[in-house]
Amino acid sequence: MNARMDRGGVVTQSLAQIGACGLFLLTLLAAVPRSFRYFRETLRQIWFVGAMSLTIVMTCGLFVGMVLGLQLYDVLSIFGGTSATGTVVAIAIYRELGPVVTALLFAGRAGTSITAEIGLMRATDQLDAMEMMAVDPIAYVAAPRFLAGVVALPLLGVVFCAMGVFGGHLVGVTWLGIDNGTFWSNMTATVDVHKDIINGVLLKSIAFGIVVSLIAVYQGYTTPPTSEGVAYATTRTVVASSIAILALDFVLTSFLI
Amino acid sequence: MACCDGFRYFVPLHLANDLLMTDTASSGSDDTIVRVRGLTTVLNGKTIFDSLDLDIPRGKITAIMGPSGTGKTTLLKHITGQMRGDRGEVRVDGENVPDLSREHLFRLRERVGYLFQNSALLTDFDVFENVAFPLRQHTKLPEVLIRNIVLTKLQAVGLRGAARLMPTELSGGMARRVALARAIVFDPALILYDEPFVGLDPIALNQVLKLIRTLNQTLGITSILVAHELAAVQHIADHVFLIANGKVVAQGDAATLATDGSPWTRQFFGGEADGPVPFQYPAGDYATALGFPGGSL
Amino acid sequence: MTQRRSYAVGTGLFIVLGFAALAYLATQTTSVANSRQGDSYTVETHFANVGQLKARAPVKIAGVRVGSVQAIDLVPGKEEAKVTLSIDKAHEDIPDDSVATIFTSGLLGDQYVGIQFGQSKKTLAEGGTIGFTRPAQQLEEMIGKFFGGGSAADRLGGTYKVTGHFTNVGSLQTGAAVKMSGVPIGSVDSVVIQPGHLDAFVTLAIDKNYSQIPDDSAAAVFTSGLIGSQYVAIQPGGSPEYLKDGDEMVLTQSALQLEDLIGKFLVNGSPSDNKNGAGNSGGQPDASSGKK
Repeated sequence: MNARMDRGGVVTQSLAQIGACGLFLLTLLAAVPRSFRYFRETLRQIWFVGAMSLTIVMTCGLFVGMVLGLQLYDVLSIFGGTSATGTVVAIAIYRELGPVVTALLFAGRAGTSITAEIGLMRATDQLDAMEMMAVDPIAYVAAPRFLAGVVALPLLGVVFCAMGVFGGHLVGVTWLGIDNGTFWSNMTATVDVHKDIINGVLLKSIAFGIVVSLIAVYQGYTTPPTSEGVAYATTRTVVASSIAILALDFVLTSFLI
Repeated sequence: MACCDGFRYFVPLHLANDLLMTDTASSGSDDTIVRVRGLTTVLNGKTIFDSLDLDIPRGKITAIMGPSGTGKTTLLKHITGQMRGDRGEVRVDGENVPDLSREHLFRLRERVGYLFQNSALLTDFDVFENVAFPLRQHTKLPEVLIRNIVLTKLQAVGLRGAARLMPTELSGGMARRVALARAIVFDPALILYDEPFVGLDPIALNQVLKLIRTLNQTLGITSILVAHELAAVQHIADHVFLIANGKVVAQGDAATLATDGSPWTRQFFGGEADGPVPFQYPAGDYATALGFPGGSL
Repeated sequence: MTQRRSYAVGTGLFIVLGFAALAYLATQTTSVANSRQGDSYTVETHFANVGQLKARAPVKIAGVRVGSVQAIDLVPGKEEAKVTLSIDKAHEDIPDDSVATIFTSGLLGDQYVGIQFGQSKKTLAEGGTIGFTRPAQQLEEMIGKFFGGGSAADRLGGTYKVTGHFTNVGSLQTGAAVKMSGVPIGSVDSVVIQPGHLDAFVTLAIDKNYSQIPDDSAAAVFTSGLIGSQYVAIQPGGSPEYLKDGDEMVLTQSALQLEDLIGKFLVNGSPSDNKNGAGNSGGQPDASSGKK
């Protein structure tokens, strides 16, 4: 393992990681049809990575919405345009903050737990044991977690957005006294289902879901079977996911806008 | 003690499979369940097996011994097809494992039980579900039947009462017995035990020992075990292979080997610190390393 | 097995919650949102111009919200908008000769309908019509001349200079563009106060290519965009004589103080306040107060 670390610079190593990750995605996708027989396992994983992340996602969504409401009210009041607060909160959250922050939270909360779980299964030979019991661990362990992530992240993103708008409304309307009708009428007049909800929240979330789940599963699956290895792998999951999310966000935005 | 620590320091655990060995051919009998011929494996530039030949008799308990890092576990993985050699064949029940497709390999594995060193129970499931796991994956048996089979196997290892415990609640010995129950749930023809006695207290060790023998005698299951515990092996094994440097260096029943005069057996069974397996990990000249200009001490 | 089922139920709940949130976002916070019918009655009004009024905008009496705009349609065959107001049942006592006005409550264009009570004893009922309306003031029309600026011309092949006196140059700066018909023809050479004068003396450097500018042309300080930079616009006159180097332009129009203009809107959007360009010399804001 040490010998491999020494070989090649950071760049070649990163490239090798990306390449290996891409190949792993192909393996994973090939295993997806086989993993349909483990549908219950997929459901169970949706529970673990999705439903268990709800608390953090909802809390953060609420606060992001509230702080946006506060800041925008402050800035927009300079121009006498506080009535646009709702619009800007909604658009900022739908297009950027919702999918991106949810994906970052998801990487920290669910991604690491996927990596650690699979890594521990690797370290304690559970994956080998499955192989020996003639159960394909890619189909039984990796694919359901991957699918669960891809399904759960868009749902979490949508919940985040709803909480964010609620938070913005709470601050803007309930505390700062923007007119309720103005808040909603400006928002509904500007926000577009196709551009903001489908392209913004859903498409980005699905893309992030694929990337984050892939990185988490890959890191777990290729963990060196030691406790150190698992620790490093979880760290790498967060770092790699965060970079990938933000870079991909830029690329997606430039295509979608 | 000091010597053991020294060994551990010089031979890190994860490199354990990467050292070298030699060879002695052995003729196979007709009743051979595993036949290894000319197996050569090179891992990360290190020769693990150098044209290894090995025959494991059906219905017997065979022990594979050797210094740490000789590739004993690697040999088991070759038998199950988890690893493939660079050359040579590994025939299990006549099928050459390296040639098998994934589906055939999986079919073969349903007839082969494998007991992992650290039991490898699935942490998500309780004891019952762990033992039931292979059944649920490969059969569509009614729940009642699964329940009966699982309870029978758990009864055989004496842990029927622990059916609803989670793996984290088990002691090492119990976990290994559960793993054993899982390994025999399909009534395999062959069970591979990877270090089944490591880390067990004497009571648990005797329980596992008894189980291995019972399974062998009552069900006629061929057993291959990799182990270091000399006393336990002498107690249980019908046949012992001593492998080192990629080859079989000695074989026979345990009692014969112990009194064999070869340097390998003498070092291994006599427990001497230095011998064919050197105490010193290969290094440059000691005097030079300490900074004495040229010459030895 | 019970353990497994609880996962399935929890997962199901999670998925349902996710889709509920999605449905909420898609239908309640976007343009898909329809006006909701509360415990209210609807009243119809007709406006010549609704400006930026949107469905769900508030309806206010004396600044207090009493309902919302339910729908805005064009009256077939007329240049007239039909606005349906949904007013709370609690406010049933609105005289039927009340006046509905579209007000603007901020610069960024959110408008609402204000109702000013009339004297009639009869009150509006469900399906009734408010006959007297005042349309939205088009801020754009008023400050239309502010828009449409550009950058200063920079490829000047020799210039000649003309001067002009302005009572107020706003934030006009040296180097700002000089345009005619929107095309840059030169730049502002200097902005100074001459000794003994109280107004700004501006020197314009105009490209020699544009030498045929009538000498009775007017110079005006305009703003490009709402918050944009200011420039000098030349509005050609009809004289046969052309401006020469050193000439003074007599007709000037000072910077429109956008603040002055909009101040009216921010305070209250009543058209009666909208007298021409308060205090600006020559400023002619094109107030389109519709019919009164």
